[in-house]
Amino acid sequence: MSETTREPDARRLATEARDRVRFEEDALALSDQVYRVARHLVGSREEAEDLMQETYARAFRSWRSFQPGTNLRAWLLRILTNLNIDRGRRQQRTPDLQPLEEGDYFLYNRLEAAGDGGTSDEQRVVERLSQNDVVAALSEVPHDFRDVVVLVDIGDFTYADAAQILDIPIGTVMSRLHRGRRILKQAMAETAVGGDA
Amino acid sequence: MQPYMDRVLTDAERREAETHLEECAYCRKRYRFEEHLRVYVRQVVQAEPMPVELKTKLQGLRTPLQ
Repeated sequence: MSETTREPDARRLATEARDRVRFEEDALALSDQVYRVARHLVGSREEAEDLMQETYARAFRSWRSFQPGTNLRAWLLRILTNLNIDRGRRQQRTPDLQPLEEGDYFLYNRLEAAGDGGTSDEQRVVERLSQNDVVAALSEVPHDFRDVVVLVDIGDFTYADAAQILDIPIGTVMSRLHRGRRILKQAMAETAVGGDA
Repeated sequence: MQPYMDRVLTDAERREAETHLEECAYCRKRYRFEEHLRVYVRQVVQAEPMPVELKTKLQGLRTPLQ
């Protein structure tokens, strides 16, 4: 090989190394945000930590397939949700087990009824739920529904981003979101107020 | 209510929802509750930070500089 071809080669390698360092730094800067979503996509902190490590290992290996200028956080979460599915967690997916699905206002009505004299301050009604109530209730939402609720309500992704991350149509995102939020509220009502009124 | 809260309605639909919320105390109360609830859930679940050791482990996955 002649000098003239080796020279641009070296330059190309240097550029690539610089791009990769930048990519890795950008990805690591997002790790807190990715973790918050991951933590609630899976059942335990240990699983979330494993999944994060697998995700970052894969991201660093396949960094060339990321298109600069697109949403890196969504790209990382797409890897993460795919790995989560690959690990077979979905196989024990909870069947359609919500025979009785309450309406949208169920939680409000229950919390209001449970309060002494029923305060009309909506914010104080919300705060009758403890942190544990919320976290426990979220873990009870079946996977398919939880994924969408976690991505949109906690991860603050748009419907379109969530659809791309999970590889499902936008209409499915919307319907799962609606049902997932209802199931979540029902679970919160049960933990916070108890099974029967 | 979900499409209104998620801000995916057309302008006309949004106005219709807002007019209804102005007129109907029952829905307004519940809408405000849903809004507070969403913010609260987000705050509560984000309160748990990423473990420091995990951060170190992720850092360790980086490609070594040649």
